[in-house]
Parts: sequence; C-alpha cells; structure tokens
Amino acid sequence: MLRFLAFRIARAALTIAMVVTFAFVVLRMSGDPAQIIMGADAPPEAVEAFRIAWGLDRPLWEQYFRYFGAILSGDLGRSMRDGRDAIVLVAERIPATLALTVPALLIKVGIGVPAGIYAALHRNSLADRVVMVVAVAGFTVPSFVLGLILVLVFAVQLGWLPSGGQESWRHAILPIITLGVGGAAVLARFTRSAMLEVLGQPFIRTASAKGVPWRMVVTNHALPNAAIPTVTIIGFMVGSLIAGAVVVESVFSWPGVGRLLVVAVSNRDLAVVQCILLLVACTMVCANLMVDLLYGLLDPRLRSAPRQATA
Amino acid sequence: MARITRRAALAAVATTTLPHFALAQADQRPSLTIAVQKVSNSNTLETPREQSNVGYRLSGLYAEPLINTDWIGDLSARPGLATAWRRIDDRTVEFDLREGVRFHDGTLMTAEDVAFSFGERLFGTGPEREAGRASVLAGSVGKEPPAEVVAVARRSVPGLQGIEIVRPGVVRYVAATPDVTIEGRLQQNVGVVHSRAAFAAAENWLAWARRPVGTGPYRIAELRPDVSLTLESHDAYWGGRPPLRRIRFVEVPEVSGRVNGLFSGEFDFACDIPPDQVAVVERNARFEVLGSPINNIRIMGLDQTNPVLANPLVRRAITHAVDRRAIVDSLWSGRTAVPRGLQLENYGAMYLRDWANPRFDPAEARRLLRAANYRGEPITYRLLNNYYTNQVSNAQIVVEMWRAVGLNVQIEMRENFDQVTARTPGRGIRDWSNTSLFGDPVAGLLRSFGARTEAERNGEWTNAEFNRVSDALISSTDMAQRSALFRRLLEIIEREDPGYLVLHQAASFTAKRRDIAWRAAKGWPMDFGPNNFRLGA
Repeated sequence: MLRFLAFRIARAALTIAMVVTFAFVVLRMSGDPAQIIMGADAPPEAVEAFRIAWGLDRPLWEQYFRYFGAILSGDLGRSMRDGRDAIVLVAERIPATLALTVPALLIKVGIGVPAGIYAALHRNSLADRVVMVVAVAGFTVPSFVLGLILVLVFAVQLGWLPSGGQESWRHAILPIITLGVGGAAVLARFTRSAMLEVLGQPFIRTASAKGVPWRMVVTNHALPNAAIPTVTIIGFMVGSLIAGAVVVESVFSWPGVGRLLVVAVSNRDLAVVQCILLLVACTMVCANLMVDLLYGLLDPRLRSAPRQATA
Repeated sequence: MARITRRAALAAVATTTLPHFALAQADQRPSLTIAVQKVSNSNTLETPREQSNVGYRLSGLYAEPLINTDWIGDLSARPGLATAWRRIDDRTVEFDLREGVRFHDGTLMTAEDVAFSFGERLFGTGPEREAGRASVLAGSVGKEPPAEVVAVARRSVPGLQGIEIVRPGVVRYVAATPDVTIEGRLQQNVGVVHSRAAFAAAENWLAWARRPVGTGPYRIAELRPDVSLTLESHDAYWGGRPPLRRIRFVEVPEVSGRVNGLFSGEFDFACDIPPDQVAVVERNARFEVLGSPINNIRIMGLDQTNPVLANPLVRRAITHAVDRRAIVDSLWSGRTAVPRGLQLENYGAMYLRDWANPRFDPAEARRLLRAANYRGEPITYRLLNNYYTNQVSNAQIVVEMWRAVGLNVQIEMRENFDQVTARTPGRGIRDWSNTSLFGDPVAGLLRSFGARTEAERNGEWTNAEFNRVSDALISSTDMAQRSALFRRLLEIIEREDPGYLVLHQAASFTAKRRDIAWRAAKGWPMDFGPNNFRLGA
C-alpha cells in the first residue's frame, strides 16, 4: 500500500509541475502583460518601466526558473493589476466559489446517484425513460443557457429570486441549481450504466440463485462494484470545486474564483492565473489521489495489483 | 459635587439623539443600484490609472477639475472648482478658486490642494520622480505614484512647469512653452483636485488610489474590486445637496445579466447596452434607453508598413469603399452620427465645418485600385471579438463593402491589442477609437497620430510633413494659423496618405426606469448631480 501511495504522490507532483510549466509558457507567449494591463494608449516609457519592474524584460527561461523557484519557496507572486499577493486575492474568492460548488455537488450526488440506480433497477420502464430523457436534457443544455432560462423564469417573470450578485443566500439559489442540474444528469447516466453492467455479471446471478434477497444483492454486491466509475466522476467533480463554476459565475455575476480567473486571464495577470491553476491542479490531483485510494478500498484487487506485477 | 438632575439628563439625551433622529427622518432621498460591465479596470479610482470609458463614467461623481465640461449640453467649458480664469500670457492661466468647497473629509479646499493635485499627486516627490515608478508594486509600498500615473500625467499636462499660488484662492498654471490648450487640458479628469491632507494620511499610494478624497457630489464609501462601488451623498457639496442618498454600481459582465436585472427590478439603471438590445429593453413600457453619440470616434487603422497598404492608392481606395451611413443605419439604428473627419463639433474655432470624409464612391475605389496595379493580394484585418460595440458585425459588413470593389481583405481574430498590433508579418488593418478629452485636435487626432504617438511607436503610420505640421500646431497660439495647420493635417492623413478610416462616432446607451427623470451625457460620464435626477417622471 505504501508503494502504491508513493507512486501516486510522485505522479501527482509531476502533474502539478507540468501544469505550472504549461500555464507559464502559454500565458507568456500569448500577449505582453505590460501592454495589456497598462492599456493600448500607455506611453512607451511606462510600459517599459512596468516590464523592468516585473522582470518581464528578462529571458523567458530565467523568468521560468525564478517563478518555479519562488513557488518551491512558497511565494506565488503578486498581482500585476491589483498589487496584492496573488494568493490573498485568490483566497478571498474561494469561500464565494465554495458557497456555490459544495451545495451543487451535494445536489449532483444526492439526485444523480439515486436517479441512476433507480433507472438501472427499472430498466426499460417508463421511469427509466423519463430519468434518462431528463438526464440527457440536463447533460446537453449548456450551463449558460440553463442559467439564463432560470433567470428569465424565476427572476424576470416570477420575481421570486434575484438574477445575479452575492448579497444574500437567495442570490446563490439559481447558480447552485444551474451547476447542480448538469452534474446530476452526468452522474445519473454514469451510475445507470455502471449498475447495468454490474447487474449483468455472473456473480449477481449466482447471488440471486443462492436465494439472497434482491435488496441485499443490490446493496451488498451490485452497488459496491458499480461504485468505481461513479466515484471516478464524483472525484472529478470534487476536483472542480475551486474552478468549476467559471461560466456560471460570469452569468450570475458571482465574485468567485472563476470570475477572477476570467479577469486575470484577459489581463494576463500571470501570478493570479498561475495561482488559480496551481490551486486547481492541486485540488484535482488531491481528488484523484483520494479516488485512487478509494479504488484500493473498494476493490482489493487494485491494492494487490502492483505487488503481483513486481513479483 | 455636581448633581445630575432629571431635567439635565433629558436635555443631554435630547441634544445627543434628537438631531440625528431629525436628520435621519429628513433624509428621504432615494438610493440607486446601477449595473455596469466594469467598475474599475485597475481596481483603483485614481483618475490617471483609470483612463478609459470605465473611469470616465464614474470619476465626475467623486472628483472634479478646475474647469468642468457641460456633458449634458454642448460639451463646452464651465466653471468647476474655479469660478473664473484668465490668460496672463501664452503660457500662464490664472484661476479664481471657488470658495467654501469642502472635500469629502470635511476640510476646505485650498490653493495648496490644487498645487498638490498637479504636483506630488501626479508626479511624486522622490528621487525617482523623473523616471517614474513601476505600476502598483510601487504603490503598495510607498506614496510615489506608479510609472503609468506619471506617464499619463505627462501626456495630459505636457510642459507643466508648476502651479503658482498667487494668494489664497488664486492659483496660476504655468506651462514651460506657449500652449493655447491649457484650459482644455484642465477639463480632463486627470486634473481633478484631491485633498492633500487625506493623501498624507493614507497608508500608501495604493490605499489612497482605492479611496481618493475629492470634492464631487458623492464620496467613496466602499470599493469591492471586480464586484461593486458604493458612493454616498456628500451633503456639503458646493453645488447643492445631491439628490441621491447612495449609488451602488454593481459589476455585471454579461449584457443579459444587466438587462434581466433591470427587468426584475434589482437595478434602476443598466449601462453599456449594445444597440441590438435597445428595442428589447424598450418593448417593456417601464423602461427606456437613453444615449447619443459621444466624444469618441471609431476608426480603422491602416498600416503603412503592410506590403499591400504601403501604396497610398490602396489605402485611399479603402476609404472610398465604405458606406458609413449604411453602417450607422443598420448596426446602430441611426442612433449615432458620422463625423466630418477625425474632429468633433466641440472643437469650437478649430472645427472645420466644411471638411468631409472621403465620399462613398465604389467607382473611385476601383479606379484607385487599378491605378495602384492591385491584383487581389490579401490584406489582413486583425479583429478583436467585440472589444468595441458591434465590432465583429461592423467588420463583416466592411469586408463585404471592400470585396465589392475588388479588395481582398481577410479577417484574422485576435485576443488582445498586443496581438493585434504585434509587429509580425501580415499586420494590415485594425480597429481603433479616438477620444477627444477636450475640444481641440491636440486632444483627438494628435493623441494617436504624429511624432511619439502610438501609431508611430507601433510603426503603423508616420509622415514627416504631418509631424512637422503637428509640432507647429501644438506650439502655435494663433488660432487662424492653427486652423489652417489642422486642415493640412487632415488632408495628409485622411486624403493623401491615409492613416485611418473614420467610421462613425461611438454612442453610449444606458437603460433606465422610465419613471426617473435623468439626462444622459454626450460622453461617458454619468451625472447624478443636484440638477439631473428626479423621481416620478
């Protein structure tokens, strides 16, 4: 198990290093932060002074190694636009984003998994077809379209809820629903597929033939085996908690990490973008790590696989 | 030993509580919530750092210059923090400061505050004053203004030698060289007057810039970067008590969000409404859209260094092939205007009433292309995705107009201005705009074209004669001579060796509740002063 864990952690560290490098190269190559932040009309001497002050006049490789070294020492840099530490700026926005993404995740899991299980257990029934039609609709409608529809109905027509902003808990309802519906649809589809695959396995037939009650067959044999693909998707959703609401935050003017990312990218505010990407990468890697560990818990064969391979 | 009687206690309570209660009862003024696309580009509110439509819209609410602009009227100059001004000589203007003007911190405005606002505030005091400091990195650790502030200040008030305090209430602006545009330059929001004492009390430049203390009708209560700006009434405003208790500007990046919020009653105003949404808003009887052409002209830059455009005949053909009126009618529903070249009517004596754009004449365009021996070589048009209102639609229309006369212009989408102006092969045509911050060609045409301007710096357009004439215009004090020089400049850059193509004036549209009586400005600024707001229209 230790070897398994060490391998996963090493892989995670490599992934984060690659994300940092990729973000650095792409952002540096796609526009001059000095010109963008200071505006098209900025006098040349001001732009040049800006470049010098922020080290943008140095060779790219030097900038990269400085940046990477700073990260290793825990310094994620300052926002070129705002003047404050990038990590402070990002940390300020995290609670707002989590206020949307955590309840949305609960909706996704709370609705998507039971719906998928129910549809699988009632395959080809009217209920199955209804669940899948709704799931496909939820899966295919883009979040910005769903968000706008919800705003038109509940804010403009009915006047029940605000259309955007972050003043109260009521402002969070529509963005949470928008985020939750799409994810619930995805989970319902995956859970149904996984359950159907497991329910067709010989060990399910064996358990049923042995006279095990169907409820126990489902809870003790089918569900644990169907959990692996579902856990993978949920892990991905957990990894998206920090930056998984970019579009929804823009549609609902919600001042979270997603909106900060959009503004920072358009301004080429490198420290902020890289800080967010690093955070997202870490979250995603941690989520994947947890999923890997859960795999080991859910399926003992995966725990023993490395040992067998090296035997 | 003093005895506290019941009567004395009641009197004490009355003196401490009743006036406040009375004030609260009296303040029945409404508050507004206004949706805007952006509250601040730089997360600060210091005017030299907010030199765009975003900053121009708000700065007049919390800060004022010596000379105001009649934004709702004819854009002419009118007394601001100075009640009168007079020329002493061709490089000196004397100002009588308005008496009794109070800053938001309650202190009285003095001549020293004016000197500070054109001195330490814009240019700093330290050893690096000449070099300027770099961006907000410097602003977060000291009081020296960042490099861009110094650079913008130098461009806005070039040749400023200093502010002389003649006596209390009278100051002189002294330029190093003769300058007939001093009065105009002082209409710009870079020259607003701020409190010297409040600057001294601020922790650092950045803290100051997030909450500058001015004299405008509203004081800054809270700036939440990328979220909102809350302004509160400055009841001691010299122009009278402001009509609103509070104004909250909320950042809503999506047009649909602003319009939906207006319809749902969350917003009283929604700014930055594109023309195609005007009819959508006005279908609802409770709302209307106000707006008009503003002091900004949309142009298309023509790159002299492009192999095809190097021939001025091709550029001239380009200018003759565009039907500006059709664009205004189709994309803007006729709600903006085509200016007479790169100039505005508020230029006063410098406005050339008989000037005209190259006429829409496809036959002439074809003739010029034949004369240029143009054989369909591709010309690249680097385009941003609607940075300017209607930008992409306009591009598609114009490209078809060019195609109709035989020009092969190919659109290439770009993400930012740096990519548009990058000196890489293919740079040819691009979108641009030009704002006249005051009524003179120096504020408009010569801000973008001529020696040491952006066009020359980018290597897009330069002309030796143009540079000579523009230098002469800048230094001349003879208005008749300046007018003749301006005409020559337009002849060069719009007819002989085109550097741009004028499209139309930009227009700004604001949607609002119909029951609010309010007039939109002929520029970016929003006016919620004592004379421009009434409920129950």
